[in-house]
Amino acid sequence: MIRWLASRTTEAALTAAVAFVVLVILLHLLPGDPLTAVLRDHPADPAVVAALRHRWGTDRTVWQSLIAFGAGLAHGDLGVSVSEQRDVLVVISERLPATLLLGGLTLLIDFTAGLAIGVWSALHPDSIRARLAGAITVVGYALPAFVVGLVLVWIFAVKLGWFPPSGASDPLLSPGAGVGTIVADRLRHLALPLATLVIATLAVPLRQQRTSALAAAAQPWVLAARARGVRPGVVAWRHCWRPALTPIVTLLGLWLPMLVAGSVFVESVFAWPGVGLLLAQATAERDIPLVMATGFVLIVVIQTGSVLADLLYRVVDPAQRPA
Amino acid sequence: MTRSGILGIALLAALALFAVAGPLVGPDPAFQGDLVRGTLLHPSAAHWLGTDQLARDIFARLAGGARVSLTIGLVAVLVAAAIGSMIGLAAGSLPGLAGRMVARCIDLGLALPRVVVLLVILAGVGEVPPLVLGTVLGATGWPAVARLVRGETMRLRHALFVGAAEALGAPPGRVVWREIFPGTLPAVLVASTLGLADAILLEAGLSFIGVGVRPPAPSWGNMIFEARDYLASAPWLLIAPCVALVVATSAATLLGDALRRSLQPDIR
Amino acid sequence: MTPLLEVSELHVSFPRTGAPALVPVDDVSFTIAPGELVALVGESGCGKTLTGLALPRLLPRGAELGPRTRVRLGGTDLTHLDERELRQYRGRRIGMVFQDPMTSLNPVMRVGDQIAEAIHAHEKVSRRDARARVLDLLVEVGIADPPARIDAYPHQLSGGMRQRILIAMALAAGPDLLVADEPTTALDVTVQAQILELLDRLRRSHGMAVLLITHDLGIVAGRADRVLVMYAGRIVESAPTGQLFAHPAHPYTRGLFASIPRLDAETTRLTPIRGNVPRPDQWPDGCRFNPRCPVAIARCLTERPPLDEVAPGQRAACWVAQADAR
Repeated sequence: MIRWLASRTTEAALTAAVAFVVLVILLHLLPGDPLTAVLRDHPADPAVVAALRHRWGTDRTVWQSLIAFGAGLAHGDLGVSVSEQRDVLVVISERLPATLLLGGLTLLIDFTAGLAIGVWSALHPDSIRARLAGAITVVGYALPAFVVGLVLVWIFAVKLGWFPPSGASDPLLSPGAGVGTIVADRLRHLALPLATLVIATLAVPLRQQRTSALAAAAQPWVLAARARGVRPGVVAWRHCWRPALTPIVTLLGLWLPMLVAGSVFVESVFAWPGVGLLLAQATAERDIPLVMATGFVLIVVIQTGSVLADLLYRVVDPAQRPA
Repeated sequence: MTRSGILGIALLAALALFAVAGPLVGPDPAFQGDLVRGTLLHPSAAHWLGTDQLARDIFARLAGGARVSLTIGLVAVLVAAAIGSMIGLAAGSLPGLAGRMVARCIDLGLALPRVVVLLVILAGVGEVPPLVLGTVLGATGWPAVARLVRGETMRLRHALFVGAAEALGAPPGRVVWREIFPGTLPAVLVASTLGLADAILLEAGLSFIGVGVRPPAPSWGNMIFEARDYLASAPWLLIAPCVALVVATSAATLLGDALRRSLQPDIR
Repeated sequence: MTPLLEVSELHVSFPRTGAPALVPVDDVSFTIAPGELVALVGESGCGKTLTGLALPRLLPRGAELGPRTRVRLGGTDLTHLDERELRQYRGRRIGMVFQDPMTSLNPVMRVGDQIAEAIHAHEKVSRRDARARVLDLLVEVGIADPPARIDAYPHQLSGGMRQRILIAMALAAGPDLLVADEPTTALDVTVQAQILELLDRLRRSHGMAVLLITHDLGIVAGRADRVLVMYAGRIVESAPTGQLFAHPAHPYTRGLFASIPRLDAETTRLTPIRGNVPRPDQWPDGCRFNPRCPVAIARCLTERPPLDEVAPGQRAACWVAQADAR
C-alpha cells in the first residue's frame, strides 16, 4: 500500500509540474504584456520601462521564468503580486482558508446528502420525493452556478433580507463581540454561497448515487441477508449503502476540478474572499505573477484531491487494495 | 429525432434568428436614450424588455448578446472539434510509442482545469475581440474531443471494413482518413453540440467576472454583472439575460442528448 | 410423524396491468418430514426457485400469494405472519443457500462477519462468542485453516469455498429446514460432489431437513429421500428416489431420463423431449405437458390431472399413468 501511495503521489507531482510548465510556456507565447496597457496612457522613459519589466519579471524567457519559480518554490517565495504589491504567497495564504471552507463544506454536503437521498430514492423508487430529487438533478446541472447564486441573492438577500448578499463576514462587527455573535455572523454569510455551490454541483453525485444505490439494492447478497433474518435497517446500511459507496468515491477525483471552476464564479458573485475570486481579479488586472502562482496552487489542490480520492477508493473497496 | 430534440433545434433556430434579426430590426443596442428619465424603465410597448441603467433598450442588448454568445460558442466548438479530432486520430492510429505519447498529451490536457487555463491565457492577452475569445475557448476544449475521437478511432480500427481496406493494399494514412475519420464524426457531432452549451456558459461566466466580453459591448454575462446593482429596483435587468442563457444552454443540451440517442444508441 | 413443513396450494402470481396475471407457481402442495432430504427437480423456468423463496416469503416485488396458500412450519402457519414475526423464522428455522456464491456474498464485508450476522440477528451473544461459533462452523463446512479465512473477503476465496461459506451462513442459527437452491450449479463437478456430501453430512448431524432445488437429476440419485418433479409451475410427479429412477410414471419424468446418457445401459441415441418449455403467459390448458407428450390423449388437452397415487408412495399427475395404474 505504501509503495502504491508513493508511486501515485509521484505521478501526481509530475503531472502538476508538467501542467505548470505548459502554463508558463503558454504565457510566454502569447502576445500582450500587462505593461502595454499602462504605457499607452503614460508613456515612459525606455530605461524605466526596462527596469519595470525586469522588476515584474516580464522580460524573462521561459527557462528563466521556470528556474526562478522553481527556486522561489524552494524558498517559499513565489514572486510579488503586481496589483497588490505584496508577496504572492502571503496573498494566496490569506485567501486559501475561505475557499477550503466553502469547498470542503460543499463536498461534505454533496456526498452525505447526496448519498442519503440517492439510497432513499433507490429504496422507494416511485415516490414523489424520489422524482423530485431526479428533477432537481437535471435542473441544477443545467443552470450555471453564478445564475443560481444571483437568483438566490435576489430572493433571499434582496427580497427577503434573510442573508447578506456578499462577503464572508460583517466588516462593521465590533472586534469585542462575543464568539457566538461572530460565529452566527459567519454562518449567515456562508449560507448563500454554500447553497449555491451545493445546488450547482449536487446533480453529479446525486445521479451517480441513485444509480449505484439502485444497483446495490438489487444485488443477490441483499436477498441473502434478508434470508438470514437480518433487520431491514442493518440490511440497508451494510448491504446497500456500503457497497454503493465504491463507485461514488471514484467521482471525487473527477469532481474536484468542477468544484474549482465553480468556486471561481461563485466567489465572484458573493465577493467571497477566496482563491477563486483572487484568480478572477488577478486575471482582470493581468497580474501575471499572481495568476501563475494561483493557477499552480489550484493545480496542486486538484492533483492532491485526485490522489486522496484514489486512496479513499482503495480503502472503501477491499477488492481494489494492492495485495 | 425525439420531441425534445426537435424542441432543442427549434429553440436554437429561434435564438439564431433573434441574434441575426434583432439588431437589424430593433433599436441600436449602444444607443443611450434619455439619461434623465429613460433609465431603468419597466418593459413596455416601446421597450419590450425595458431599459437598463444607461437607458439602452434591453431587448436590443439581449439580441446583441445572443449574437456574441452564438458566434463565440460556434467558433469555440469548431476549433475544439478540429484540434481534438486531429490529435485524437493521431493518438488512436499512430503505432507504438508515438501513439502512446500523444495519448499522454491528451491525459495531460484533461488534467489541466479548463477554467484555470482560460484565466491564465486571458491574463496574458488581455482584452480580445469575440472571434479570438472563441478561438481561445476552443483551444482549451480540445482534450475532451480528443479523448472521444481516440476511443472511436481505436474502436473503428478493429472494425471489419477497415481490415478490408488494409487488405486491399490501401496505405495506412489513407485508411485513417477515408475510412476511420468519417466514422468518428457522429461522436464528434454529439460532443460538439453538448460542448456548445459548455462554451456558451463559459463565455457568460468569463464575461461576468470581467475577463470575457467587456462593456459596452453586450454579452449576457456582462449584462448579468451589471444587473447586480439593480436587483431591488429593476429585476428585469437580471431576468432577461438569465432566461436567455438558460434557454440557450438547455436547447443545446436537449439537442445533444437527442443526437446521442439517435446516433449512438448503444453507448450510454 | 408430523411433517416439519406443510405446503398446501402454494400459488405465486404476478399481477399485470392490462393482461392476466402471470402465475409461475400454480397449486403446489408437498410436505417434508423432519430430517428428510427432498429434491425439487425441474428445468429452468418451471417455478422451482420461486417455490423455494416462497417458504420464507422472500418473493420479489410484485409477487402475491394465492388466497388458499398455506405454509406451515412445525405446526405454525407462516403464511400470514407480518415481516417482523417472519424475520424470526428466517435463518433461525428456515435457512437458505443461494445459487451463485459470488453475488450472494457482500463484496465489501468479511465473510466471518457475514456469518456472524446470522447469529447476531437471532441471539444475544458477545462478539467473541459469535466469532468462536463462526470458527466452529467453518470447520464443520470443511474449510481448511479457519482462522486464516474468517477475515477474508469474498473475492479472496475460490468458488467452492464461497459456497461453503454460504452454507455456513445458512446453518449459523441452527435451522430445522435448509432450502438449497441450485447449490452446485456454479461449481466444478468435483467440487459439486464435495458440497453435496457436505450437505448430507450436515443434515444427519444436525437433524435438519433439506429441500434441494436443482435441474440436475444426476446429483439427486443416492442422496435424496424423495423427489418432486416440477413442470410449468406444477408438481407432476412425487416418489421416493429409488422408485422414481427405476419406474418413472409421468411422461415428462420419463422424457428427462431418456435424455440423459447413462453409463450402465447401452444408449445408442439420446431422445430429447420434443418441443420447448412454455412460457408462463402461454401455458396450455388441461395438462400443461400435453403439447410435448408422446402419449397424450384427448382428456389431457382439457382436464387438468390431479396428483394422485399410481403406485405405493408414488404420485403422478397424468391421466395415462393413473389409468395404467388401475
